[in-house]
Amino acid sequence: MGLLKDEDKKAIQGIFEQLKDPVTIVHFTQELNCDYCPETKQLLLEVADLSDKINVELYNMQTDKEKVAEYEIDSLSGLVPATVIRNEKDYGIRYYGIPAGYEFASVLEDIVDVSNHHIDLEASVLQKVQAIDKPVDIWVFVTTSCPYCPRAVRTAHKFAMANDNIRGIMIEANEYPQLSMQYSVQAVPKIVINKSHSFEGAFPEPQFVDEVLKALE
Amino acid sequence: MSEFSFHIGQEDQLTEKNYDVVVLGAGPAGLTAAIYTGRGKLKTLVIEKEAIGGEAASTDWIDNYPGFPEGVGGVDLAEKMEKQAKRFGATVLYGDIRDLDLKSQPKTMLVNGEKVTAKTVILATGTHPKELGVPGEKELKGRGVSYCATCDAPFFKDKNIAVIGGGNSGLQESLFLLKYVKSIKIIEFLPHLTAEPILQDRVLEYKNVEAFPHHRLVSINGKDKVESITVENRSTNEKFDMKVDGVFVYVGLEPNTDFLKDQVKLNDWGYIEVTPDMQTNIPGVFAAGDVRDTLVRQVATAVGDGAHAAVIANKFIEDLEE
Repeated sequence: MGLLKDEDKKAIQGIFEQLKDPVTIVHFTQELNCDYCPETKQLLLEVADLSDKINVELYNMQTDKEKVAEYEIDSLSGLVPATVIRNEKDYGIRYYGIPAGYEFASVLEDIVDVSNHHIDLEASVLQKVQAIDKPVDIWVFVTTSCPYCPRAVRTAHKFAMANDNIRGIMIEANEYPQLSMQYSVQAVPKIVINKSHSFEGAFPEPQFVDEVLKALE
Repeated sequence: MSEFSFHIGQEDQLTEKNYDVVVLGAGPAGLTAAIYTGRGKLKTLVIEKEAIGGEAASTDWIDNYPGFPEGVGGVDLAEKMEKQAKRFGATVLYGDIRDLDLKSQPKTMLVNGEKVTAKTVILATGTHPKELGVPGEKELKGRGVSYCATCDAPFFKDKNIAVIGGGNSGLQESLFLLKYVKSIKIIEFLPHLTAEPILQDRVLEYKNVEAFPHHRLVSINGKDKVESITVENRSTNEKFDMKVDGVFVYVGLEPNTDFLKDQVKLNDWGYIEVTPDMQTNIPGVFAAGDVRDTLVRQVATAVGDGAHAAVIANKFIEDLEE
């Protein structure tokens, strides 16, 4: 049985009418020791089925070492399932864990933006983001039942689209208790920048970029 | 089916600059207003700062909203309202408001840096959870102190927690927390819990829930995370500690009106004063839902306010154009 209901599929197809160029969902999965791998894979395949502009590339976390290295999926060791949304370019958009609940909307919005090469940031924010010349990993810890989280995830992903130095990484905190504990995640959204600077809450984009700049000081 | 749900929505883009109605806040009041102004063929923009659905979106289950005999998930209800508003042409997006000028006609503001005008503005910015103001709260926020059960409950699996506040919110969210936690201690300042009796019955029948009415929270304690709370029995003045790993705070609400201070008339608590027709002291500016001066803050009353404000806003625009 499918994860998405027929009425959901219809609504998603309506959103996908905006797709322009092809989008690739690169997905890393494994058979054993991964609670949400089967559902995540199924979900992404169901989504891809709803538009001929979306392809899925499936890789095995354990055996497809080259691809794992290419996408630097193992920079966060052992986090699986992992998902990349890209066009001809890998912007650095990453999802670790199942993007269900509220985060499903983030996936749909990412797909539309990536397909249209569209970076939805106001000019003053975009300018600051594009001026960043050091590598930045923005981790956004979420739970799928957090209504404030998608805004933080989307902001991180928009920043990633705007600058090759930046990766925007959603992490579903429930699935990775060890990592969550290591970074004292007990409230979401929690944003950790380059493993050091952190803050909680869905900051508006202008404040969010200022936090990123603070982390680089 | 599975345990999974999937929120399907897409943020609109700001494509126009001049609107008939700009609604600030996409909770039940704001979205209802947009349904009505949209149906009135008024060009409508709804701007949300944090979460579509407002406080309703972070409420696990809403049992007293008419039309849903079994109750309805807060998320689900918010999503339906958003869809309905969009169906009638409203643009709904996340954004920041700067340089708001409500006194000019049309009213002006910067939305994500873009100048936008509006013939009328409906303020439906709602409330946010009130903080306790006890020692330890600020330091341990996000380290065991939480204001959003639906967001953070999973971090307290099999843990002992305290819920501060025995009103409707505290007890409703306790029901959700009970799916995860080992035990709940409910701390209520007043001599009795104030939640609806039916909700009290449902929560207190759990053996792992204990209520402490007439107790005052003195402090939240812990080094890097919550380790205990200190409470005071208000009858005996005896103080004692309870070992808990988490503290969920439901002690009331505060209006989101800081940015309106010099713009519209607020009451002593910061809520917006309105006429029975939801009009503020500034012509063409309305307020609806939890943010206005009222004794009752429910989804049902917010929805009524939103409809009311929208109809009067429509009339204001008609008069403007005569």
